[in-house]
Amino acid sequence: MKRAARPTYVLKQAWLLVHGSPWLTAVSALTVALTLTLIGLLAMVLFNASHLLRELGQNLTLSVYLREGATPDQAAQVRQKLQGHAGIKRIKTLSREEDRARNRRLLSPELLQGLDEAAIPGQPMLEVEIDAELASRGDVDALVKWTQALHGVQSVEDVEFGAEKLRLLFALVEIARTIGVVLSVVLLSSAMFFVFTTVRLAVFSRRDEIEVLSLVGATPGFIRLPFLVEGALQGLAGAALAAGLLGLLHLELRSLVRDVYMLNVAWSLLPPGMILWLLIGGPAVGLAASALSVGRYLKV
Amino acid sequence: MIQLYHVSKRYPNGTDALNDVTLRVREGEFVFLTGPSGAGKSTLLRLLMVMERASDGQILIGGRNIHVLRDASIPFLRRNIGMIFQDFRLVPRRTVFDNIAISLEIMGMGSKEIERRVNQLLDGLRLIHRAGAYPGDLSAGEQQRVAIARALVNEPAILLADEPTGNLDPELGQDILQLLLDVGRRGTTVIVATHDHALIERYGHRTLVLTRGQLAEDRPRVVGRVPERTTGPVPSSGVVPVGSGEPTADQAQAAFFADDGTGAEP
Repeated sequence: MKRAARPTYVLKQAWLLVHGSPWLTAVSALTVALTLTLIGLLAMVLFNASHLLRELGQNLTLSVYLREGATPDQAAQVRQKLQGHAGIKRIKTLSREEDRARNRRLLSPELLQGLDEAAIPGQPMLEVEIDAELASRGDVDALVKWTQALHGVQSVEDVEFGAEKLRLLFALVEIARTIGVVLSVVLLSSAMFFVFTTVRLAVFSRRDEIEVLSLVGATPGFIRLPFLVEGALQGLAGAALAAGLLGLLHLELRSLVRDVYMLNVAWSLLPPGMILWLLIGGPAVGLAASALSVGRYLKV
Repeated sequence: MIQLYHVSKRYPNGTDALNDVTLRVREGEFVFLTGPSGAGKSTLLRLLMVMERASDGQILIGGRNIHVLRDASIPFLRRNIGMIFQDFRLVPRRTVFDNIAISLEIMGMGSKEIERRVNQLLDGLRLIHRAGAYPGDLSAGEQQRVAIARALVNEPAILLADEPTGNLDPELGQDILQLLLDVGRRGTTVIVATHDHALIERYGHRTLVLTRGQLAEDRPRVVGRVPERTTGPVPSSGVVPVGSGEPTADQAQAAFFADDGTGAEP
């Protein structure tokens, strides 16, 4: 009769283990909750930063400055060359005067007083709106490479689109991601340590029961299962708490962004599926920690 | 049912707990195992439960050589051997009912069947009113009866008792022994390790005497000496069969490793 243990029996025994050391269990669950909340926050920050950068890429404007004395024909040639490239949304040609007029509007009236018209910068140019897939610094570098190719065209003097600022933003996101990964590993390790210790103490406190179970013919799996479930329950409790906290935080942030800062954010601030991942990840962390503890301390 | 061939057990510190023991216990036999402290009684029982492995020799239980039994098969062997300890080994955090139910829970039995079997046994042992009590609330005699119930509830083919009366006063000890005799009469092979010579003399069952790890004497049963109480409609000891009837020898033999399924080498 090689039947599996009744789930109700396993859950009852796991609950009794939790009940046997409520404070330790609470500390373990809170550690898991804190860890998952911090990881969730980091994920939120990175997710939104990446989203913002992608939005920037989708509304990027290149300024293609033409050389002094470039003719309308040359401008048309450059325009034609640009139009052959994917992702070009719109190209606007500006003459020197139009560029100067636009720059004049940018200057304050105080500055304009007594200023010679010729002193206001103006250059024939093309304003190119592109939809670039910017997901990393590499994408910015690829865009830079493409714009550098335009430098080879005789009538083009310079191409600008704020590449350095974009590269800096991507670098910051990459640094934040690296720090996040390291921090997550450290936090997860500490959470696992707490669950590991709680399960270890539960194993020690149940030595007599483990011996009896072994003597009446319980298989090692039957004996170990409640301890594994205990770890998973701690992880689940922590994950539920973290999910609740992040859910609340998301609601608060959303109203803050929309109602206080009056920003129209088109995406959800919470990474999609994050709550589900937390609810899967929490018990998985608990299970892994208890499996390590049981493997090391529960010898049958 | 149980056969030992030149079995020895030597501990790492050099102590010889058993030395070249050869014996045979038949199916349904009731046997006393006696000898002074340190003679090897408990070691022999521990070897039968595979709590330890013999250093030399072969042990056959139900025709299977447990010397070559794989670790994964040990739980299935133990389900067919009930073990009673001098110190009862009850789980203090579990109620009387749950302590007994352990033996059935491990087999994945349904809760209704567990309830039926445990309550039936508790009723027979006059412990039904103590079902919800914890071991700490019980007298020594009650604790030992619970331990016996736990060993019997899954109807094992063999019952081993290690000094089952050692912690009890003589009157309670006789009650417990009567209980074990009742179990033996129902077809279970029973081995009782004890150094209580008065008890052995009183009942006159086959007695194996161990001295310094060796089988010094094998006294056959003395017919007619036994002042056993006969079990009437309500057994004096309280034991009632848990199953629908007494198992035959063939049934017990066939059932022995039925749960194993892992193919221990004969």
